[in-house]
Amino acid sequence: MQETLIQIEPKPPRGDWRDPHVEFRKGSMCYSAAPKNLTYLGLPNPRVWQPTDSDWKLPPDWKKTILAGMKERLDKFRSFRLFMDVCVRCGACADKCHFYLGTADPKNMPVARAELIRSVYRRYFTLSGRIFGSLAGGRELTEDVIKEWYYYFYQCTQCRRCSVFCPYGIDTAEITLLGRELLTLIGCNINWVMEPVANCYRTGNHLGIQPHGFKDSIDFAADEASEITGLKIEMPINRKGAEILFVMPSADYFATPHYYTLLGYMMLFHEIGLDYTVSAYASEGGNFGSFASHELMKRLNAKIYDEAKRLGVKWILGGECGHMWRVLHQYMDTMNGPADFLEVPVSPVTGTVFENARSTRMVHICEFTADLIHHGKLRLDRGRNDHWNVTYHDSCNPARGMGLLEEPRYILNHVARRFHEMPENTIREQTFCCGSGAGLGTDENLEIRLRGGFPRANAVKYVKEKYGVNLLTCICAIDKATLPTLLEYWVPGVEVGGVHELVGNALVMTGEKERTTDLRGEALATESVLASGESEARHA
Amino acid sequence: MSADRAIVERWVERVLQSYPAQTLPFLRGEQDPFRNPVGHTLRESLTILAGELMGKMDRQRIAQALDAIIRMRAVQDFGPSDAVRFVFDLRTAIREWGGAVPDSLESRIDELALLAFDHYMGCREQIFALRINELRLKARYAASEEGETP
Repeated sequence: MQETLIQIEPKPPRGDWRDPHVEFRKGSMCYSAAPKNLTYLGLPNPRVWQPTDSDWKLPPDWKKTILAGMKERLDKFRSFRLFMDVCVRCGACADKCHFYLGTADPKNMPVARAELIRSVYRRYFTLSGRIFGSLAGGRELTEDVIKEWYYYFYQCTQCRRCSVFCPYGIDTAEITLLGRELLTLIGCNINWVMEPVANCYRTGNHLGIQPHGFKDSIDFAADEASEITGLKIEMPINRKGAEILFVMPSADYFATPHYYTLLGYMMLFHEIGLDYTVSAYASEGGNFGSFASHELMKRLNAKIYDEAKRLGVKWILGGECGHMWRVLHQYMDTMNGPADFLEVPVSPVTGTVFENARSTRMVHICEFTADLIHHGKLRLDRGRNDHWNVTYHDSCNPARGMGLLEEPRYILNHVARRFHEMPENTIREQTFCCGSGAGLGTDENLEIRLRGGFPRANAVKYVKEKYGVNLLTCICAIDKATLPTLLEYWVPGVEVGGVHELVGNALVMTGEKERTTDLRGEALATESVLASGESEARHA
Repeated sequence: MSADRAIVERWVERVLQSYPAQTLPFLRGEQDPFRNPVGHTLRESLTILAGELMGKMDRQRIAQALDAIIRMRAVQDFGPSDAVRFVFDLRTAIREWGGAVPDSLESRIDELALLAFDHYMGCREQIFALRINELRLKARYAASEEGETP
């Protein structure tokens, strides 16, 4: 006899994908931007509203604004028109998105997400769409479509994994950025992007920490680094005439586990006697503007070159940050350059000329440190990291946004004895996103983040079970902020740390006192975990 | 195909049907566990659960397999009843295959459903605890740095 007690239809409605209706549910959406933040940035339609409201209080001419905004961008960005026209819907990208893999929602296939905007493009900007409408794949622009855009463009972390597989090189991150840019024109933003942007614009960093607070944090960390090593370690702030300006994500000086990476930087720079400074004005590498519009991205990014000019440095060194590097690698030079007032970066320790940074004049800390190690300029005791069994998560933007694949691994293999790669199709250019980038890493959106981060966590679980991995290293502040929660849910027992945290642990400094703890204050392993003392590194 | 295998296949298929139609071919067809974590977790966990329900009822293996599947469904677009409903799908799978559900298995399925409910509640409670923890951290950073918003 069939069960009759539970009358639940197991199959969800198989509706037409063109139906734009979406259900906003707490836990799987981001709250709207507070009006004060839009007002501060001079952005349109500041108001109190939430995505769960039926009336989004759109401006009366919202449709005209969106279509005019699309036209302007189609004319301005050749890439946008190309991405709208060239997709043949082959589906190569379809199963590459971590959100699709984690949610199984077909509209999270990158091709389908792009189709949300492409269908409007067809309807209003192509002859066939204007004449044949839905028969030519066009869709009317309605308020429901705006809500659908908001829902799905804020379910994309702009990680660009799909782009790796697109035979035409369509960059879905660009499409998402343009979709968000259009939504910005009518005031449909999320607060976790706009508040940090407003704060960055005002004080230089995303939490709105003022210069005296910045100095307190840096001094506190310097004191701690001094205490650990027995040396007098300092980090100069706003020092004119320094050779190098060092820019890091603000989380490095106010959040954990980022903070341990900051201690690592300080110790490294002290040991090699680097002539450098940090800045209270350019005190944020992360660019939350890049999550909302090209214009906001440019406004925030400009601070780095402005400050380099004001302080009179020769070149810029950048810390373990994600989005900073995509903006830097792909936009900074043409957006706010040329940086002809700077010099081509040369390592003061090894004399290496960083040819790759000839144009932007900005070098990644992993390139810099790997070069130091390659030239034998650092004394490293890998045994000090024996309590860690390490794997490496390629943070999306440094990996796919600028091709930084080898340097972090080179460093890790020189500072730790136990290092294991996750499976091949989850690392390097195929790395899975943390699921919280591009402004989605906020607590109210936790369920979406847990879904999006599932493919990454699944690979971490594999190396934990197979090799006993207990530390996931990465070089992105958002990773460090959000992966601990993700792993606590999916893979308890694996912690998150930075590459330079392990450098700080292993670095044997001139005149230092004997180390009994690591940078976290945890006792070092008393006996080697490896009988032979040899490196244990394998690929999964 | 053995009877057990055939029943598991039907069970997996019924559970897959709870996902959107456009996603089914991928969830069903892609065998790589890292490219298809949802499909892989479902298949692996349901296979273990079926084996234990029809076999030794090893509590630890059941808890692990149940946790893997519930942990996933607790954050996907399912209400509580839909999230744990897959347990009862086993009965339907057996009947579809043409068999009758033995009394001993009936009670085991009921017991599994209760366990599934415990796991589901555990996951949801953990999600709320994780969220509170993130909020607490955020507040602490803001307070310690005297961060102000514009």
